[in-house]
Amino acid sequence: MSTPAAPLWIRPERIKELSLVGVIAVALVIFGFLVDDYYSGQFFNRITTSVVITAVLAVAQTMVVVTRNIDLSVGSIVGVSAYLTGQYAAAHPDASPVLAVGLALGIGALLGAVNGLLVAYGRVPAIIVTLGTLAIYRSWLVSHAEARTITADSLPSWVVDLPTRTVVSVGSLDVRAVFFVVVVIVALLAAGMQRLRWGRRLYAIGSNPEAAAQAGLPTRRLVFGAFVACGALSGLAGFLFLARFGTITVVAGQGLELDSVAAAVVGGVSVLGGSGTLVGALLGAVLIDVLDQSLVRVPQVSEFWRNAILGALILAAVIADVAIGRRFRRRWSAEARPHTKVTEDEPADPAPALEASDA
Amino acid sequence: MVRAHKLLAVLTCLALAAAACGDDDDSTSTDDDSGSEAGGAGEAVTIEGGDSMSSILLPKCTGIAVFDQANEGAQEAAEELGADAPEFLGPSTCEDPTGQIETMTNAATQGVDAVMISNNAGEQIQSGVDAATDSDVAVVSWDSPIPSGEGESLFVAQVDFDETGVVMADMALEIMGEDGGQFAVLSASPDAANQNAWIAALEEALTDEKYANLELVDTVYGNDDADESYNQALALVDSNPDIELIMAPTTVGIAAAGKAMTDEGLCDRVKVSGLGLPDEMREYTESGCAPQFALWSFVDLGYLTYYATYGIATGQMEAAEGQTFTAGRMGEYTIEKDPTRDSGLRVVMGPFTVYTVDNIDE
Amino acid sequence: MPEWTRERTWELLLAVILVGTVVYNASRSPVYLDVDNFVNLFRLSIEKVIVAVIMTFVIVNGEIDLSVASVMAFSACVLGAAYEAGVPFPLAIVLALVASAAAGFLQGQVIARTGISSLVVTLAGLIGFRGAARILLEDRSVGAFPEWFTDLGREDLLGPLPFALVLFLVFVVVAGVVLHRTAFGRGVFVIGDNADVARYSGIAVARTKVVLFTTSALVAGVAGVLFAARLGSVRANIAEGFELDIITMVLLGGVSIFGGSGTMLGVALAIGIVLNLRNGLGLANVEANTQTGVIGALLIVSVLVQNLLDRLPLRRREAEA
Repeated sequence: MSTPAAPLWIRPERIKELSLVGVIAVALVIFGFLVDDYYSGQFFNRITTSVVITAVLAVAQTMVVVTRNIDLSVGSIVGVSAYLTGQYAAAHPDASPVLAVGLALGIGALLGAVNGLLVAYGRVPAIIVTLGTLAIYRSWLVSHAEARTITADSLPSWVVDLPTRTVVSVGSLDVRAVFFVVVVIVALLAAGMQRLRWGRRLYAIGSNPEAAAQAGLPTRRLVFGAFVACGALSGLAGFLFLARFGTITVVAGQGLELDSVAAAVVGGVSVLGGSGTLVGALLGAVLIDVLDQSLVRVPQVSEFWRNAILGALILAAVIADVAIGRRFRRRWSAEARPHTKVTEDEPADPAPALEASDA
Repeated sequence: MVRAHKLLAVLTCLALAAAACGDDDDSTSTDDDSGSEAGGAGEAVTIEGGDSMSSILLPKCTGIAVFDQANEGAQEAAEELGADAPEFLGPSTCEDPTGQIETMTNAATQGVDAVMISNNAGEQIQSGVDAATDSDVAVVSWDSPIPSGEGESLFVAQVDFDETGVVMADMALEIMGEDGGQFAVLSASPDAANQNAWIAALEEALTDEKYANLELVDTVYGNDDADESYNQALALVDSNPDIELIMAPTTVGIAAAGKAMTDEGLCDRVKVSGLGLPDEMREYTESGCAPQFALWSFVDLGYLTYYATYGIATGQMEAAEGQTFTAGRMGEYTIEKDPTRDSGLRVVMGPFTVYTVDNIDE
Repeated sequence: MPEWTRERTWELLLAVILVGTVVYNASRSPVYLDVDNFVNLFRLSIEKVIVAVIMTFVIVNGEIDLSVASVMAFSACVLGAAYEAGVPFPLAIVLALVASAAAGFLQGQVIARTGISSLVVTLAGLIGFRGAARILLEDRSVGAFPEWFTDLGREDLLGPLPFALVLFLVFVVVAGVVLHRTAFGRGVFVIGDNADVARYSGIAVARTKVVLFTTSALVAGVAGVLFAARLGSVRANIAEGFELDIITMVLLGGVSIFGGSGTMLGVALAIGIVLNLRNGLGLANVEANTQTGVIGALLIVSVLVQNLLDRLPLRRREAEA
């Protein structure tokens, strides 16, 4: 008797993304009972403005994690990029916004390139490199800034007003410009990851680095590229950070790296590489933000309970993912290889590599 | 393989031996005995320069403008007195108190003459303070005191803490009007001795008849982090939709709350007040979002703290109740017992300035 | 001909750096070679180094434990909350340790049974146990511990060495013996190298992992109690960010992040380097962030150098052949 195979278009990634949407919906329903005026345009605005930074970072992190690496320096990149861009904007209030955004992206890409060089060409494990650069970038910022803070009123108004600019408004519900732009960027990148060659190659490297290298893939260049992309996106997040808060101190962005990893993980990205989608990471960031912001508004939950509940919920989300994911992965793999019949007496799973990496 | 092992063991022992055979002399303090005499308690003393003094100015954390201003004041004072400029050292984040403890303990090893600390570590700073006083380092606190008062020579208070409560209550009354209403407090770190004292004073002040219509509904903590404070301010409004005012006795909190209310277009409903820096608050005051807020001069606070510390470390004055001293351009001050703590001495610096749209440009 | 294995070259490199650091610091600061200073240097970070010893086991095993700092805070808060509630102090200490071990046991079970990566589970633990600490003490601080307790934390016990330092020295020796000379230790290595091979060789992989994570949390719990003794009071926000330093010490010690190799001597040397480096820089008034930056750079450079050294034996063997 063979395991019934699922149709090919129901890929595990889609299932994961759909299940995330489902979990978000369930959370919204539950909190709707606990919080007054929950379903308001106001709350939607809160979520969309606060999630953009973590979402961009989650996507950045995913690009690196699928190659079986990690980037713990994203928080420091955000800080450096936000601070330097703020300094620039304060000193050149008439400069074009495009230039300012480009500066942020460029700084991020440069810092990401350093990471990429050390990981891909220096062959130093990513966790070591990025633990080091986390500290090095931050300490550079501290000494560069000399304890000066960028204040909101020194910035040109287009920067400070950016978070509230809307594309379209439906009643009190705004579709904010930054949110819209970020969603578009993520959609484009996600499409690239799934359909373009470089995207699929990143997944290949993460699933099995040795095989990828033997198959002739330019692994080092691709991993380097992933880190540069991650850095550039972190730089963008730094710009968004500057626009949102206005006041940038030397500790800006500290701790964001953990948020980005948590969002990616909740979004179904495996830390072992080779699986997970950018859309999943975006949804993961949204889920965590919805949970965080909702818990703050539940009057019975004191702020001291929030972290504990958040930790438990993250764990629950991941366990659910593993439980659901395994089941569908097996069926999908069976269908993808029509010549392999999965019968009871079949010794091995059709995708042993995937299973072993889960164990 | 055995030889390599032994080589390593020898090298390691060498490193440890170097430590054990090291010099045992304690570094000597460079202060002590100058021309001027120590004034007895009660005898007015004018602090004069001439002696060197090595010192550390230890704020709650770096990256906050008011502490930079305090540093300015301290540097100014050091220049006037002809002493070494104080080292401005502080942890990079206000959330972790262990950085202050480390700096305090290192100061003891370095043998500096004095440490001037704005305490962010609550009672935990005590181990560092004890280590410092064991090594004859003078410990003077400013802005935020050492709760037990032990080991601390003096606390230079910017204002009377109880008065702060009244000032905040008065501003709240003026902003919300006679009918009063609900308001909430956005503070810094739950550890911060000064903010906690001010909030307690505010609650105490509110019991007076005059403020009967004012209701304090919630207190939240932003940890002097712009992110956190911003989010907390918005959450306050969402959870307590009837509040009319956010009172933030922290310059980071008030600026973040001002931005949050402005960003979300809430300024009509919810005003912002508390302790803020004119530079950071200007646009919110001019827009009407923060019609009133108060502060004192941090530059003056740093200046006065340095003078007082210098006087104590050079032996020119005693850190005792009743001691009067003149601190440069700031004039005369008298040390008194600190009524807001169980034990400890303090010197109260000076007046509040309440900023409104009229005087904000000064 | 001495066998220059990867571990030996690393240890030699570390020893050289350590001696260099001490010499440099001594030359810059006249007070550096004081015995008191050395004791102090350990004292300020004693909780971290104790946890670094057990973290070695975890990483050699191919796992990671990001929750240690949060468990430290959790344990300290259990101690504080129990004491505040009137529980006799020695019992409160026991409660704190039991709670920590339970935390580790929980994480270990999830990791061993569900196969979810330890990075993820302990990340959830990092957030969750910090939250648990906040639930216990909210924003209060608990102090006024019995004098024998704070004396233990601050006073010297054996000669110039305080209790915590004695504990650390004993612990590192015992841990070294267990890791390198017992069957359990060998099992830890094999699992880190290849968990499947270990399983087929009859090593109880799941049980070893549970034991390791329970012990890791228990040691973190002990560190939390020691922290309380040293500071004289506890709060929910203590030990924030400690896990980074701890992991750096272990990785600098030559333990491979992928598991399966590393030595306790290497970690001990790395601990010496990190402490001396921090202390020397601190005395030179270099601020904490820059200190961490220097240590981070050291970590990267060490691995780069090791990668270079890796190529040497190959060339030598080929030359001889």
